[in-house]
Amino acid sequence: MARYAIRLEELTKDYPIGFWRSRPVRALDHVSLDVEPGEVLGYLGPNGAGKTTTLKLLMQLVYPTSGRAEILGRPAGDVEAKRRLGYLPELPYFYDNLTAEELLVYFGGLFGLAPAVARTRASILLDRVGLGAERRRRLRHYSKGMLQRVGIAQALVNDPEVVFLDEPMSGLDPVGRRDTRELIRSLRDEGRTVFFSSHILSDAEALCTRVAIMVQGRLVSTGRLADLAFEVQGWELVVSGGDGGALASLGLDAVTTAVDGRYVVELPVDRPPDQVLPELSRLHVQVVSLTPRHESLEDYFMRLVARRQAPAA
Amino acid sequence: MTERSTQWWQRPVWFTAAMVLLVAVFVSTAVMRDRVYAATDPETELLYIPSGPVLARMALSFDALLADVYWIRALQHYGGTKRGDSEARSYELLGPLLEITTTLDPHFNAAYRFGAIFLTEAYPNGPGRPDLAVALLEKGIEQMPDRWEYYMDIGFIYYWWVKDYGRAAEWFDKAADVPGASWWLRSLAANTLAAGGSRQSSRMLWREMYDSADTDWIRNEAARRLTQLDALDDIDQLIAASGRFVERAGRPPSSWDELVGASLLVGIPLDPTGRPYVMDSVNGTINVASDSSLFPLPGETLPPLPQ
Amino acid sequence: MSVIPRIAAQVFKESVRDKVLYNLVLFAVLLIAASYLIGQLTAGQDVKIIKDLGLAATQIFGLFIAVFIGIGLVSKEVERRSIYSLLSKPVRRHELILGKYAGLVLTLAVNVGVMAVALYAVLGYMSWVETEEFRRSWEAPATDPAMLAAIVLIFVQLMLVTAIALFFSTFSSPMLSAVLTFGLYVVGHFNADLRNFESVVESPAAVSLARVLYYALPNLAPFDVKAQVVHAQPVSLGYVALTSAYAAAYIGALLLAAVFIFSKRDFK
Repeated sequence: MARYAIRLEELTKDYPIGFWRSRPVRALDHVSLDVEPGEVLGYLGPNGAGKTTTLKLLMQLVYPTSGRAEILGRPAGDVEAKRRLGYLPELPYFYDNLTAEELLVYFGGLFGLAPAVARTRASILLDRVGLGAERRRRLRHYSKGMLQRVGIAQALVNDPEVVFLDEPMSGLDPVGRRDTRELIRSLRDEGRTVFFSSHILSDAEALCTRVAIMVQGRLVSTGRLADLAFEVQGWELVVSGGDGGALASLGLDAVTTAVDGRYVVELPVDRPPDQVLPELSRLHVQVVSLTPRHESLEDYFMRLVARRQAPAA
Repeated sequence: MTERSTQWWQRPVWFTAAMVLLVAVFVSTAVMRDRVYAATDPETELLYIPSGPVLARMALSFDALLADVYWIRALQHYGGTKRGDSEARSYELLGPLLEITTTLDPHFNAAYRFGAIFLTEAYPNGPGRPDLAVALLEKGIEQMPDRWEYYMDIGFIYYWWVKDYGRAAEWFDKAADVPGASWWLRSLAANTLAAGGSRQSSRMLWREMYDSADTDWIRNEAARRLTQLDALDDIDQLIAASGRFVERAGRPPSSWDELVGASLLVGIPLDPTGRPYVMDSVNGTINVASDSSLFPLPGETLPPLPQ
Repeated sequence: MSVIPRIAAQVFKESVRDKVLYNLVLFAVLLIAASYLIGQLTAGQDVKIIKDLGLAATQIFGLFIAVFIGIGLVSKEVERRSIYSLLSKPVRRHELILGKYAGLVLTLAVNVGVMAVALYAVLGYMSWVETEEFRRSWEAPATDPAMLAAIVLIFVQLMLVTAIALFFSTFSSPMLSAVLTFGLYVVGHFNADLRNFESVVESPAAVSLARVLYYALPNLAPFDVKAQVVHAQPVSLGYVALTSAYAAAYIGALLLAAVFIFSKRDFK
């Protein structure tokens, strides 16, 4: 048993740009990172930070310029490692003329599964991603979100120990995002290692044991999300029981009415909840939920970059 | 430092070695094939024949199929012209079409044999070009020297159309020399030399042709020729009858009715196809009607009516 | 190792799904219609013409399948990015190439096989309705087993063309691959002319270049024995074996190069 599920060592990738005189562009710059078995790692960063490049290097879809990537103690691209991993590419695309079930049976076959076994597993997985009813439809008729779900199902067809998901939430509606979050949570509960990338911070919240934050091809910080210094930019408060007038008397103007008598209140930074909550209980308004709104990853990176440049200046 | 899952062929040495080996194998098989089988390569001969070869190359190995297309065009050209209006019947494309057909497919049996028949047929039923027909058959002999029918067909053309009986006998002999040729060719050659052009030897020729025909088309053609010979016999009889009328009346007959009236004929004489014979009292000849399928009668110039 | 047959089977399934085998219906209709029409037209040569037509159609139909599916086998996977998930499965890149190749060859084998059966059936029927005497006038029997030599060489040639198409598609776009493959096909039928180049030009450099090209470029003319077979000229087993050996080595070289190039590619 390898010590690490995933290990990146000084992983670097240059892409040649231009046709005649190739001027290399560094997509990934000496990234080192270890992921332990059973961890759920959020690989976060804005678009173009090198997240997809890292995943392609792990799948050996591209070759590193220098450094190495290992999965389960084996070099990237090793067939024995591939037997034990699953991979959802970014904006996945499969074969138009196949049905979801046929795709999973084909891919199952590549793992040596007998057709009957593969079919059983396909129907379990398609139920799990909510496509049970659509499994006999050709993929050409699938929406983006449905393809995303098929992509997750095919990544699990071999019951993998390590699952790589590249932007699993992109292109999904709110229900899809919730389902995907649930799915990742269940993968974690099953003891699998999950490595997923996202450019949206909130995707990582409540899911990840750890996050790694990438900016411009470099790993800028890793750690538990709570330990990272994200600035709180306000809170989202959901209440019920009061009426609009009562809330207005508190001087809270950013109020929207939600269904079944609930209200969503945006609390700015200068009205922290510990000030507001006592007043609410005075007005017999029940608090349904309270969520801090963090700064976006972009803002965080801007701040990091500014802070890094400041001493040098 | 990069680690790749290395297969043997990803190492430059092994890749190069394997590539060199494979290239060596396919080059040496190509050399061997060219040495051993070059003689049977049908395309090498084609290179030196004008006009058709360009097409053969353009056809990218579909030349046999293209030959079929040209053969069908030749048939359509011949048949269409023959059936067309008697004015402006021109068979000038027939020769080139057959030439292209046989160049594209040098073993196209029908194109040689039927083509030669079409070419020799006298105007207006054909272009009347025995010279082209002989050239076409000689091309066929070059490709397939063991086809005795081609030699016989040439002898035939000399016999029937050119009336060079010495040449005809020579070709019948050549045909008889080919292994597997029909036994009667030798006697046909002797007969031609002795009595070429006589109706009796012609009849023998067509009779043999009829009996040995391997297609209906040739058999029908031979039957038509034999019928024409019968018509010539009829015309001899009719001329004899006219001669007797001249003896009695002191003048040539002007119509069949006069001969019937003189009890020299029992009725209007009909040719073997059922069309009445035509007496041309102005020119003084007897012939088959021009709308008879036997028209025009071959070879022998018709004897003049006695005056 | 069992990955290659699975990929091959998938290629075959997809070609069935894409209605590639419908060309067989077209082929049958063509043969039957032609045998009826040509029987009306030409004097005693209908069996020859059906043979010519059947063999040529087997080759043309196969050629189009080999080229148009061959060029898409790999490049479509790359272009549509389906290769990302495929290569994350326990598939080595050379297994992908070989599996795709085997799959298309299997498709072609089924196609050519069915066409051969159909051709023999039509010819058998034509022979059956003719008189014994008429049959004797044919150069070769209608259902001449020697036609198999031509069919085998057509199939081997298609295998070679498939390898060419696959080779190009590992590094160029489908459009360019199609142009290059058809280009090589045409050159392959003309390049016998390169062998006799010294009789046409003086320059020894040009002659040696022509020689090199003659041996380096695929020589497809020798695979064409349709005319010989139709005219009952012998095609020896040795010839078929030697020509097939040539194809095997050439295909080997093409696949080796394809695998080498493909294994080095970054799928950006």
